[in-house]
Amino acid sequence: MEAYIIKGYRSAVGKAKKGGFKNYRSDDLAVSIIEALMADFPQVDPASIDDVIVGCANPEGEQGLQVARLIAARALGKEVPGVTINRYCASGLEAIGMAVGKIKAGFGHAYIAGGTESMSLLPMTGYKLSPSYQANLDNINYHVSMGHTAEAVAAKYGISRDAADEFSVQSHQKAAAAIDAGKFKEEIVPISVEEVFVSEGKRQSTTHTVAVDEGVRRDTSIPGLARLRPAFKLGGVVTAGNSSQTSDGAAFTLVVSEAFVKEHNLEPIARLAAVAVGGVDPLYMGIGPCVAIPKALKQAGLELSQIEQVELNEAFAVQALAVIQEAGLDPETVNPNGGAIALGHPLGCTGAKLSIQLLNEMKRRNQTYGMVTACVGGGQGIAGIFERL
Amino acid sequence: MSFRIKKVVVLGSGVMGSGIACHLANVGMEVLMLDILPRDLDPKKANLPQERNKIANAALQAAIKSKPAPLYSKSYVNRIKTGNFEDDFKAIADADWIIEVVIERLDIKQHIFAQVDEYRKAGSLVSSNTSSIPIHLLAEGRSADFKQHFCGTHFFNPPRYLRLLEIIPIAESDPKMIDFFMEFGDVQLGKQTVLCKDTPAFIANRIGVMSGCKLFALTEQYELSIEEVDALTGSLLGRPNTGTYRLQDLVGLDTGDKVTQFVVNNVSDDEFFEPMKGQETPAYFRFLLDNGFLGNKSGKGFYEKTKQKDEKGKTIINALNLKTLSYEPSVRPKIAVAKQAKGIELMDKRMQFLLEGDSKEQHFLRDYFLALFSYTAMRLPEIAEAYYKVDDAMRAGYVWDFGPFEYWDLLGFAKGCELIEAAQLPLPQWILDMRAAGIESFYKYADGKRMYYDFQAQQWTPVSGTESLIILDSIREKSPLIKNSECTVHDIGDGVMCVEFTSKSNAIGEGIGQAMSDAIDMAEAEGWNGIVIGNNAKQFTVGANLMNVGMLAMQKKYDDLNQMVDQFQQVNMKIRTSKIPVVVATQGYVFGGGCEISMHCDAGVYAAESYIGLVEVGVGLLPGGGGTKEFALRASDAYFEGDVQMPTLISHFKSIATAAVATSAVEAFDLNYLQKHRDQICYNTSRNIGMAKEKVLQLAPGYVPASAREDITVLGRSGMSVLYSAINEFRLGEYMSDYDVEIARKIAYVICGGDLTSTQKVSEQYLLDIEREGFMSLLGNQKTLDRIQYLLMNNKPLRN
Repeated sequence: MEAYIIKGYRSAVGKAKKGGFKNYRSDDLAVSIIEALMADFPQVDPASIDDVIVGCANPEGEQGLQVARLIAARALGKEVPGVTINRYCASGLEAIGMAVGKIKAGFGHAYIAGGTESMSLLPMTGYKLSPSYQANLDNINYHVSMGHTAEAVAAKYGISRDAADEFSVQSHQKAAAAIDAGKFKEEIVPISVEEVFVSEGKRQSTTHTVAVDEGVRRDTSIPGLARLRPAFKLGGVVTAGNSSQTSDGAAFTLVVSEAFVKEHNLEPIARLAAVAVGGVDPLYMGIGPCVAIPKALKQAGLELSQIEQVELNEAFAVQALAVIQEAGLDPETVNPNGGAIALGHPLGCTGAKLSIQLLNEMKRRNQTYGMVTACVGGGQGIAGIFERL
Repeated sequence: MSFRIKKVVVLGSGVMGSGIACHLANVGMEVLMLDILPRDLDPKKANLPQERNKIANAALQAAIKSKPAPLYSKSYVNRIKTGNFEDDFKAIADADWIIEVVIERLDIKQHIFAQVDEYRKAGSLVSSNTSSIPIHLLAEGRSADFKQHFCGTHFFNPPRYLRLLEIIPIAESDPKMIDFFMEFGDVQLGKQTVLCKDTPAFIANRIGVMSGCKLFALTEQYELSIEEVDALTGSLLGRPNTGTYRLQDLVGLDTGDKVTQFVVNNVSDDEFFEPMKGQETPAYFRFLLDNGFLGNKSGKGFYEKTKQKDEKGKTIINALNLKTLSYEPSVRPKIAVAKQAKGIELMDKRMQFLLEGDSKEQHFLRDYFLALFSYTAMRLPEIAEAYYKVDDAMRAGYVWDFGPFEYWDLLGFAKGCELIEAAQLPLPQWILDMRAAGIESFYKYADGKRMYYDFQAQQWTPVSGTESLIILDSIREKSPLIKNSECTVHDIGDGVMCVEFTSKSNAIGEGIGQAMSDAIDMAEAEGWNGIVIGNNAKQFTVGANLMNVGMLAMQKKYDDLNQMVDQFQQVNMKIRTSKIPVVVATQGYVFGGGCEISMHCDAGVYAAESYIGLVEVGVGLLPGGGGTKEFALRASDAYFEGDVQMPTLISHFKSIATAAVATSAVEAFDLNYLQKHRDQICYNTSRNIGMAKEKVLQLAPGYVPASAREDITVLGRSGMSVLYSAINEFRLGEYMSDYDVEIARKIAYVICGGDLTSTQKVSEQYLLDIEREGFMSLLGNQKTLDRIQYLLMNNKPLRN
């Protein structure tokens, strides 16, 4: 049976450790987004949701204890189960893919799928980094930090510092223009955040609303970025300015079967035509989309030229440029509203967030086929192709 | 002490103001630093504190970014609050001490002090850091309570590092307050306090300016180049390498000129400066001032750092030719007598050689020193009642190893008098009297005390302020308990021994190990209270004697080496487990083996200016004297129930693997070289041995010896794996070479207890054994030998 995407909402993306969500839990954030999503469909009984699939790249600490189950119970009632899934930066898209797959297999009719991540509250590598001794003896480069993979990609595919910095400035400019045009307003659920703190010896509380993506720096310039030092490698090209930002955010979609659409009188906006993943050498993690994109196109029976818009997760500018170059993407179709360098990259949430952004922009442009693709830690790539209805 | 200081207000945030504020923060003061409102106050933000305090804020930010760092630890910046004269003057009512460091203008300072007088609480201390305004003028018109609590407190730049603090009372100053500042400046601020009179430029700058002017004049007279003079007046004489002209560039030519002009115009009865009144500035100095070539701050002065590089990739430095006034590529001067003198280790012999020969350079130095001796002697009692104060001031404020009278002693008192007279320079009556009284030197040691000759009372008198210091030189005449070529063990009283390293750069060899072991045996057998390991040298120790280790390794005498390393490990374990307390007292470099010794002591008294690190990887080794074992032990002690352990393991590993050197004893706590429950900081370096002795006496009653540990948690393979990943990150980032990776993996192996398949508890001896194996295997690698050889020959590390 065909599966449809009915709607998606996301939070604004907060700057990790300094933004509006720096003290805000990602499970609380997820509950708010799912509640907002369900509020649009009063005819759907929350208990009729078969499962809540939550992508999360660091499922421990505040987002540990199989966080999806409690998100589901709080947002939809104790009858609704939840599953946490992890494919790092692809988790949010993977969640949508799983929902679609389950419906097509006949295992269920209605799913909430997306992802949530707080990079403020958790250390990047989790609390206990403990790679396999044997794996490290066999291939030390199977566990490397993402910055080094970006340097490796830049070196292998000949991406220069200048090109990376220029790409990053464009990302900020496009994102600023999109925000100014109000493009993200319809998809963002404003979140009211209470802060209780001690200031000048007294307990105080304030409440602020986070409704706009926080990462955009309007004054970013090429000379400004050129002054930054390489973050990972002596004489390297990857800097804090041409890498994605660490972020906090949540995004969820409602994915249902054809029967469920009819039963509840829903209006589908799109279907997921294909989703594919593939593996590459972990040291060249960033090039991952290049193996996933052809697989997805083949599944969907489409040519690359038919893809009108691509949301390519900008883990690093050098990596995004290498993918554009090697996969043969038309730069004009890529990230019309900027990417993670400007808008942030809340790991487990990102895949769902980009899907929602893509579908809304496709609607504005009246496009039919669009793609979300991302490189994934450990040397993987994902690509999902959406057909707008 | 009748005064207590906790809150200090610093008025003025210039280079000196913010430097003083930082140093006060270093020693735990709560500091408020004020400056003027910005002249271009942004009207839109005119009410915001960050706009109104902009000047003090910017100055503080500039200070904490400056090098060398003014703070012991970056976090101490939180101890400094900022404000402005308009809004925050009232806050001085809370201050225990108000120190003025504003622009050197009498009217402005008087205006400020009038306000201080109005707002301060009675009994609070007030001082000025002026270097060029008579202190008594600053107090004119002030209240009686103000005057009673007012004096000069003159710091030297940079305040953290230059040890001199001149204290200048006015007639009305309460003597109890002056005593307090002398003591507080010493114990709390870590300074050499020198009581001065209210004479122009006080002591250090008066002598310093004369010294500089004389060297300038002699440079021209002997037609020497500035590089030659710098080579002759730097480390050769036990003075900073900056010599004469590079020092001027560092200080700033305008600053130097201002002080000089001030001295020239304000002194009286001064045979050196009076003839300079109204005299024209030398052409080259005019040239530099007029062009704004003021030294390092303006990019050039006597020297110019160009953007060009030579064929070896070194930046080309130009030097000013004083005759042609053009900059020419600087050449390293080849001076035969300088080279010869450098070979003379004993400073008295070196001075005698330098001042008695017939070369141009020897004449130059002789003329200089005789003028310096005569001038300084003639200034007493004008600038100080006792000559030791001049020596104290010059050593602490100008970083000379010897003050004028100490240099004179090196040459010989009588010889100096003779040469001064032959040069037809004046000698004061008191010198003639001393000579007539048969006095043969300015200083001597008696009864374990350093004595000077009080020429007014005509008797030998202990140098004041040194009573509570332990100066090993002063007990050298007593026969030591143990002595060999590297080490002397002294009886420092109250049943406490002091193990003093005496080798070159205090490098640690078998002699030191043997003496420490023998001292412990003797102390245990004879019922001593305990042992202090400490010395009065600039550097506690540079670490193991590399020459010795390298030679044995090159000769492949591995059995000897293995035995040597084993012995060093055992001596360190003996320090830990002996029946008597052993306390280390450090200053300067505490590197490698020295760091290992100190980590095995029962407690440590570390001068704040101790630069501590396990630096072995620089020469291709791992800490093999128990240092790596000790880090495994310390990591283990930091683990707790439910701990994920890896971050603790990584932070301990990193200190060793990156050869991290703490830039202050405070920072050494963060690097795990020091431990809060065991080690303490001593602000005044010269007090560390005394404090360590007190610590021994405190630990001695009921002292329970430590046992060798059997319960050290090591993580085995899971720890090694995470460290391998961390090492790989450094390699990918090109911060490590392939050989660095090999060394770092050896360290990972030892610190994790080897490739054990599970977390378990092991003994100290097991860790020492694998540490020694790791050390030996690295010594068998040619790349390590190359590193050792390169360091010995070039005094900098090799990356291979």
